[in-house]
Amino acid sequence: MVVKFLIVALLQVAIFASIYETNCMECHKSMPVKIDKFFYRYLLKYSSEENLKSALTEYLKHPTKEKTILQAGLLNRFGIKKPTTLNDKELKEAVDEYWEIYKVFGKLK
Amino acid sequence: MLKSWDTNLLSREKQTLRSFFLLYTVFTITLLSILGAIYYNFQKDLMLQKNRLQLSYLANEQVLRLKALHVNFDKDRTYPRDKRFKSAIYDSSKKQIFSTFGKKHIDFNEVIYMEDSKIYLIKEPESYYLGTKYLVLEVPSNNAWLSKVYKTLALYGVAIFLLMMVFGYFLLKLLLRPMREAIELLDRFIKDTTHELNTPVNAIMSNIEMIDKNTLDDKLAKKIKRIDIGARTVSNLYQDLTYLTLAHKIVSKDENVDLEELLKERIEYFSLFCESKKLRVRLTCGAKTTLHIDRKKITKVVDNLLSNAVKYNKVKGSIDIKLGKNYFEVKDSGRGIEKAKISEMFDRYARADESVGGFGIGLSIVSMIASEYALHVEINSEFKKWTKVKIWW
Repeated sequence: MVVKFLIVALLQVAIFASIYETNCMECHKSMPVKIDKFFYRYLLKYSSEENLKSALTEYLKHPTKEKTILQAGLLNRFGIKKPTTLNDKELKEAVDEYWEIYKVFGKLK
Repeated sequence: MLKSWDTNLLSREKQTLRSFFLLYTVFTITLLSILGAIYYNFQKDLMLQKNRLQLSYLANEQVLRLKALHVNFDKDRTYPRDKRFKSAIYDSSKKQIFSTFGKKHIDFNEVIYMEDSKIYLIKEPESYYLGTKYLVLEVPSNNAWLSKVYKTLALYGVAIFLLMMVFGYFLLKLLLRPMREAIELLDRFIKDTTHELNTPVNAIMSNIEMIDKNTLDDKLAKKIKRIDIGARTVSNLYQDLTYLTLAHKIVSKDENVDLEELLKERIEYFSLFCESKKLRVRLTCGAKTTLHIDRKKITKVVDNLLSNAVKYNKVKGSIDIKLGKNYFEVKDSGRGIEKAKISEMFDRYARADESVGGFGIGLSIVSMIASEYALHVEINSEFKKWTKVKIWW
């Protein structure tokens, strides 16, 4: 009975988890630098929502050394990531969610 | 209606003066406004530049605080505040991230500017901390400079305005000099000519009077009549010109003048002129009317009206003279006056029709005498049909 319940629960999580959670969070969880730090590095460089999303999308699709915002140490250790396997729609959904979670708008007091 | 003759200037000259003065004043005020605006903006820029350095230090302090907040954003989300100023941060698309002075339109093209008595400084940090491309600082403006500027503007504005008015006055005099000189020249010429006319005209007229007309044959009598008309015309002109040039020296001898008697006498005097043009003259008298006035002057008025009625009449035309209790009028069947020209008829040397001889001084004299005795002069006319001049009191 307990096993059945666990299987159902895992299936539900798998079904309802977002693209961002399953495709981005999963990998970044194991990295020493958390995913929010990447966001603020992007923000530091690109400022606006439009610029940030566009730069991030471009990097995820075609990652290069020139485009990365990784510091030299991290870059040497982890290298450049592989291009994303998500299609444009999924990628946009993931990036939008990423923006919504970490954006500064409405969070300052 | 009768015009004011309180100055020597003609109405057209006065109109020119008014237009010039108005234009000059508008020009002066516009010029002063532009200079004032330039001075105000210059002073404002000077004040802003004085504030810029101090505000830049404050902005740098705020940037450092934003930097610290950016690094620790996961732990602290309190926007850094400072008692000395209010601030706001905007991203590269000029979208407001946070503000302590509410939502306001910011001119991002400026580095420092003033609006609604507040000074705004726009600083671009070297990195976009929290996405900040523009940091805007707001401080209240010290209005001491403004009152100083207003005082200076008022003081110098009034001084320059007065100076310009004095300059304008002399400029006007300079501009009007040719016009005045032309009028003076004409006056002087008339005065000199008048002086030389007197003796020969009197000689002609007195000699004609001495001739016994009954002894002359018709042909010669006709010639003498023509000479008489000519001499009377010159005599009338002489009297007009004398009045015009010596008007201010003539002392009035007012008496009760019977206007019916006077009109009859003057019609008789002009009978030769009327005959020569085959004019029909009709005098209609109402009640017996007397006027307390200088006889010579009212004679001058009547003579000028009759002279004009004859001069501008057509051959075989008519002259209707009416005398009422408080008016008399002379109506001719002549060429009339265009409506636009009627108001200019009292000006000296103004002529409705250049084709007939004359100096254009008749109605000017009528107007002067009427003005002296508070009589009203009214001209009505239908172009190419008739003209009526009415004197009422």
